[in-house]
Amino acid sequence: MLKLENVDAKYDSFKALDNVSMTVGQGELVVLLGANGAGKTTLFNTISGLLKPSAGSVTLNGEDVTGRRPSALVQAGVVQCPEGRKLFPEMSVMKNLVLGAYVHRRDKAGIKKTLDHVLEMFPILEEKKNQAAGSLSGGQQQMVAIGRALMGRPKLLMLDEPSLGLAPLVVKQMFETIQTINREGTTVLLAEQNAFAALKIATRAYVIENGRLVMEGDRDTMLGNEAVRKAYIGA
Amino acid sequence: MDLFLQQVLNGLTLGSIYGLVALGLTLVYGILHVPNFAHGALYMVGAYVAYFTMVDLGLNYWLAMIAAGAVVAFLSVLCERLVFHPLRNAPPIHDKIAAIGILLFLEAVVQMYWGADFRRMPTPYTEILHFGGLTIPAQRLLIIAGAFGLMGALHLYLKKTMTGATIIAMAQNREGAFLVGIDANRVAMMTFAIAGVLAAVGATLFAPINLVYPAMGHLLIMKAFVIIILGGMGSIPGAIVGGLIIGFAEALGGFYISNEYKDVIAFALLVVILSVKPTGLFTKGVR
Repeated sequence: MLKLENVDAKYDSFKALDNVSMTVGQGELVVLLGANGAGKTTLFNTISGLLKPSAGSVTLNGEDVTGRRPSALVQAGVVQCPEGRKLFPEMSVMKNLVLGAYVHRRDKAGIKKTLDHVLEMFPILEEKKNQAAGSLSGGQQQMVAIGRALMGRPKLLMLDEPSLGLAPLVVKQMFETIQTINREGTTVLLAEQNAFAALKIATRAYVIENGRLVMEGDRDTMLGNEAVRKAYIGA
Repeated sequence: MDLFLQQVLNGLTLGSIYGLVALGLTLVYGILHVPNFAHGALYMVGAYVAYFTMVDLGLNYWLAMIAAGAVVAFLSVLCERLVFHPLRNAPPIHDKIAAIGILLFLEAVVQMYWGADFRRMPTPYTEILHFGGLTIPAQRLLIIAGAFGLMGALHLYLKKTMTGATIIAMAQNREGAFLVGIDANRVAMMTFAIAGVLAAVGATLFAPINLVYPAMGHLLIMKAFVIIILGGMGSIPGAIVGGLIIGFAEALGGFYISNEYKDVIAFALLVVILSVKPTGLFTKGVR
């Protein structure tokens, strides 16, 4: 469904993405592994349209979407749950979620349905719905962020380091949730440093280093690969 | 006591106008990080449009207010499209210079067409009301009611509507707003339009007890900047409270200390408040 061909992205003269080509198929859960600064967030922001690629093309279901505006991409079903969450801290949890459905704002019944589904997935948010999003714990804020992304009814959900800064038990729940979302039919692209947990739920994975994709493989190949184990799993 | 209450009333009148003007300035700053020095010129244009709608076209005060609001909102959006939007990736100093350019341009155009004369705007509300020992010109009551009514309407708009929520969202987290699909251009135009309406209505309310002339926005925009710095850049309650503080300080200071120094009082107060609370009174959330 998503296809990147020879994509370059630059911050001034620094080349943050170098000749990146990748595909994400319908229904897959693709993991993007990489250390800090390898280019994971840059790649995501390029797909989301926050950053314009300096070369190459991005196609979505066969349609060229290179350089489209973020709002157009959200409309097309590409929704990112960003690193650092980027919530609206002083708005209530409920308002954050409802704004997640901004592109579907005319479809009141649809919003209600998605909202019910999100609250069913994260029951704690129902309790906290009137609290300011910024006042929640890290794990709960991450739920709001994922919930807000789901409210956009993504066809492709991109999650950028959702486990960052969370307690181990919460991380485990987070990965279970991501797996559930994927099983319900949403294609997922997941950037993670927590390689082992991420690979366990993955269909396929890519490894990114210094802005280049250096390795690709399905779940078992990656889990069995010596270099991946050494660099990202530490065993 | 009556004299004191009279000054309180004057302070409230001044403060509500300052609040309205500062509110537009703080919205634009909080959301787009544009220090719009041209806001005072938009206020001035609002007063002229209202004046000529009443005097030349013979329409009534309220229609003049609507005309001023519409024209200035359009002009404000035009500034955004033609000037600030192309500069969105430029260093902040470019916005400042461009805003001063717009200010000078608008003043020159107004002066070219209508001259530099001082004009007095008519108002249908010339009665003087008496409550006990208080003397209250009806126009002043209208200013207070109008300003607070408009602030209330803005509050409801921002809190209750989806479009309002997108404006707040953009102020609280720009990237987050993009990622839920909010269109930056739409929010920018909306914000400039609202700021324009606030300035024009403020001008139409205030002009009958003041004078209409090309430089009428100068001191006001300086004070509006004082107010939003004092209230916290980008803060909506900060602009309202800051406006009232400056309004009261001027009215009471002008009466009890010295009328000649009343304009200095606002700036003295800024120095005092910033030395105690350097980030302004309300700095939560927005930068």
